[in-house]
Amino acid sequence: MPLASTSWLRQQARPVRGVLIGGLLAGSAQAALMCAGAWLVAHLLAQAIFHHRALASLWPLLAALLPMALARGALGVAQRRACFDAGAKVSMSVRLALEQRLRALGPLWAAQQSRGDIVTRLVDGIDALVPYYAGYLPQLAFAAIVPAIILACALPADAWSALVLVATAPLIPVFMLLAGRAAEQASQRRWKRLRRMGAHFMDALAGLTTLRLFRAVAREETFLAATGEAYRRETMAVLRIAFLSAVVLEFFATVSIAVVAVLVGFRLLWGKLDFESGLFVLLLAPEFFLPLRALGTQRHRKMEAAAAAEDLTALLQTTAAPAAGALPATSQSIASTQIGIAFEHVSFGYGAGDVVRDVSLAIAAGERLTVVGTTGSGKSTLLSLLMSMATPRDGRILINGEDLTGLDLDGWRRHIAWVPQRAHVFHGTLRDNLLLAAPAASAWQLERALHAAALAPVVARLPRGLDTPLGEHGRGLSGGERQRLSLARAWLRDTPLLLLDEPTQHLDAATALQIDTALAQLAQGRTVIRIAHRLDAIGAHEQVAVMAAGRVVETGRAETLRHAHGAFARLLAADRAA
Amino acid sequence: MNLNHSSGLLHRLFALLRSERRAMLAGVLVAVLGTLAGIALIAVSGHFITAMALAGASGAAINYYTPAALIRLLAIVRTLGRYLDRLITHDATLRLLARLRGWLFGKLAPLAPARLAALHSTALFSRLRADIDALEHIYLGVAIPLLSALAVMLGTLTVVLVYLPWLGAGLLVLFMASAWWLPAWTWRSGQAPGSESVACTDMLRELADDGLRGRAELVLFGAEAMHAERIAAITTKQQAARRKLDTLQAIGSAGVMLTAQCALIGALLLGLPALHAATLAAPDLVMLALLLPAAFESIAPLPDAWAQLGASLLCAQRVFALADTPPAIEEPISAPPPASSTDLAIRQLRLRYDDAPSWALDGLELDLPQGARLALVGPSGAGKSSLLAALLRFYPYQGSITLGGIPLEQWQGDDVRARIAVVEQQPYLFDASLRENLRLGCPDASDEMLHTAIAQACLHDYVASLPHGLDTWIGENGIRVSGGEARRIAIARALLLDAPILILDEPTEGLDAVTASTLYESLAALAQGRSLLLITHRLGKLSALVNEVAVMRDGSIAEGLSVAAYQARGATAAPAMPAALDRQALNVP
Repeated sequence: MPLASTSWLRQQARPVRGVLIGGLLAGSAQAALMCAGAWLVAHLLAQAIFHHRALASLWPLLAALLPMALARGALGVAQRRACFDAGAKVSMSVRLALEQRLRALGPLWAAQQSRGDIVTRLVDGIDALVPYYAGYLPQLAFAAIVPAIILACALPADAWSALVLVATAPLIPVFMLLAGRAAEQASQRRWKRLRRMGAHFMDALAGLTTLRLFRAVAREETFLAATGEAYRRETMAVLRIAFLSAVVLEFFATVSIAVVAVLVGFRLLWGKLDFESGLFVLLLAPEFFLPLRALGTQRHRKMEAAAAAEDLTALLQTTAAPAAGALPATSQSIASTQIGIAFEHVSFGYGAGDVVRDVSLAIAAGERLTVVGTTGSGKSTLLSLLMSMATPRDGRILINGEDLTGLDLDGWRRHIAWVPQRAHVFHGTLRDNLLLAAPAASAWQLERALHAAALAPVVARLPRGLDTPLGEHGRGLSGGERQRLSLARAWLRDTPLLLLDEPTQHLDAATALQIDTALAQLAQGRTVIRIAHRLDAIGAHEQVAVMAAGRVVETGRAETLRHAHGAFARLLAADRAA
Repeated sequence: MNLNHSSGLLHRLFALLRSERRAMLAGVLVAVLGTLAGIALIAVSGHFITAMALAGASGAAINYYTPAALIRLLAIVRTLGRYLDRLITHDATLRLLARLRGWLFGKLAPLAPARLAALHSTALFSRLRADIDALEHIYLGVAIPLLSALAVMLGTLTVVLVYLPWLGAGLLVLFMASAWWLPAWTWRSGQAPGSESVACTDMLRELADDGLRGRAELVLFGAEAMHAERIAAITTKQQAARRKLDTLQAIGSAGVMLTAQCALIGALLLGLPALHAATLAAPDLVMLALLLPAAFESIAPLPDAWAQLGASLLCAQRVFALADTPPAIEEPISAPPPASSTDLAIRQLRLRYDDAPSWALDGLELDLPQGARLALVGPSGAGKSSLLAALLRFYPYQGSITLGGIPLEQWQGDDVRARIAVVEQQPYLFDASLRENLRLGCPDASDEMLHTAIAQACLHDYVASLPHGLDTWIGENGIRVSGGEARRIAIARALLLDAPILILDEPTEGLDAVTASTLYESLAALAQGRSLLLITHRLGKLSALVNEVAVMRDGSIAEGLSVAAYQARGATAAPAMPAALDRQALNVP
């Protein structure tokens, strides 16, 4: 196990130290009460057997056992609660820290991640941390505290028995350290392989259709059976040895009880010990090893937590190349119904190669610009930079003459509506999905947006209209419906700047036409930047910027560029050759 | 869930695992033996020291060899028992795991994709994962503790009945209370918070998904703070539910401890008068006083085990229901007569999904003679993917499809799929090396064959750029593969299948123009001597691959025409976005 993840786990425990100590105190009080109870029983039996006292004179002592048991129960519940709270607090703070991290990493980073992987880390990974704080850490402390309390009680009663316990107790950690380290490593390897085997199985299930397509089902079945059996054989060969070390603990625990019993028995026979003390020590002996044994059952939880911590710290330490959204000290707010934009020598990159190189462009308020270029030429990145989802490495972007980095970002973003290639549909109702874009929208505005985006017929078809749940649990939206939702959001936002990122690329011709028509309405009177992929459909009077390898290589009216034998003409020729 | 139903599920689960029953039984026996030896060790020790003390006090002679030897024996049995217990139950668990996974895989395979909704939903899939996980723990987490506790209770009751019959009656009640009523109460009370916790976890999963896929929208809409607040709110709710569950468990174990103390008090209440009346020997009383609390220790895991049993049965119910789903396609029993050609003929094809109100395919007619090259063009939702599903024998249909003149129903699904290679729209890449992924349809392919396919799929530069070439790990735990690369891997994978019919489902979607244009040539070369069915919503440059075009609309073929004719018309019919933008006269309601 990498030391880093274990020390990270410990570090997270720091803020909940108080809660954990509370839990430890409750647990220690419980152990003390257990000792008192044991003494009471020993005393009772000694009085009855050797002093021939009847129940009539002993019942107050007997009755005292009940409140003691009740108190132990209450302390036990308190201890569990405190430990649970520690785990809950850590998981909450880690979850929020991760959300903070995702926020800092930004949308550009998020778009590149594997969905299943991150979701598993964020949900199951964090859940795997909890038992470390609620179970393993407290148990680790109890393994030291409880035996100490018991020893303190046993020592005055019978020094010899206490000596037996003391002599065997340290042998256990020493032995576990000697025999256990190799065993622990072996068990970690085993555990990792088991996890990998489980992952492989789930992978095979997820890809069942593909397996059927390639007639690989029978082969996979044989493989699964073979790996399962091979794993079992190998594991059992290792376990025969590995469990021996675990048995050492069991052996000492058992033998010391037996030794204490025999030792106490003979000293009672020889009259060297009074019965009360002997019985008391015998009652305590099994309790002495209980916390150590319980620790063993918690070990796999620690391994699971450490594995999860490894994944989570990797995420927490991830840095996106140029961090976006660092607010400057003085941020100017912007409020305008007219937006003019200028890119001045803007460059941006993710590290190795720049995605946008020295781009200069100007779009006057109310104007339209169409950006074209092959995939990967940096078109979408221009929009991301404009939305401040990334900050230019060089150069600056001016909004109505003000540097974008000096603006209040939230205020600036309120001026933007964006229709991406594939809009995200959030889990929730259709209404939630619309109002996310404009929480204050009135019913009338909503209605207007629905009609303008041609979403009204879709809503009419939905079983519960606007309140139909969408997303995985609910109904999915088709590509066209999704884009209409995105358009309706843009309508609701009603902003002076409209950014369109190939909004009809994934749509068939008929749906694309509907979306285009609705877009035309929306574009009126606004500043529009549109990324287009169908070059032959660009109007003659369109202002066009052609991008290649991150640079703007041509700008001008489409009509002019068509005859210029430049980059645009070449792209057009390639498109038409299709 | 009623008792009958539960026992039915358990019975079925046991029947499924029958082949491993010897290992399972051995594990239970050894576990029980170890536990009983541990309890007996304590009880016998108590008896021994009392007898020794009495002998010491009275000066009477005593046979201490037998009890001392018994104590040693029990210590050995317990230690050895624990060792064998861990070893044998581990072995049994691994056997169960292999058996269960093999069984489930065999059951689920014929259901994909038509009847396996879990494949289309992250949430359902993660639930399936959790269900399998729970079933895999049913032996170690449920069966062993329940059976051990049962054995301990029976053994203890027998001993107590011999010495103090009345105590036996009381003990029976206490056992019932701690092993049955108390767990039943905690389980019942845990139902509501339990489902609340599951619902919250599902919601957190959705929020995590939204936070990843919808991050740009959250940023733009200024909704990130709200998103974080929702995460915090749902986490708080989830934790409140879990705390209730945890407290219930804590109360459960406190309850067991309390009943154990009650048993001890009861033993003293009945035992002290019996001692006084000389009907019970002092060593026997001490033995009972030590036996009872020790016995209750093996009941302590019961609330947890019962709760797990309830949850596991629900999981078993879901898994069995899934496994019992009849496959969408009944495979024919007899092998088909050998087909001389690979002509595909489709007549009056209709297909409807289970819960859909309308037909996805409705009266489709199509011919794909051997060697023909046809493009199927149509808008999304026209039924292109449904046709693919029918052709691949994944979904049942009405009407007729013949392959080589023989109805598809008479073919084994695998024989059909041996003749049709498909490049899927969203290819699934396995968590394995690139080599393994490529060899999927052709496990014996040599490196030479792999490299030929790689070259044909324009994947050469990509493979050369990989750190370990063909042995580079891809998929969930490997390096990230872009959409375009995944498509090319899928193309190479399909090439290696070497089937007479090739179906390309949107082959250039997600590839940039340059890569796509290099691909057209390899695809054209590849299609030589094969029938080709190209499925796309936009023909574009792909037209070079085909001779004919079938236009699909609303589940049937609207018309069939030559590529030239289609293109001539396409040029005039293409929708023009900026033209639409220029139309300023549209009304805003």
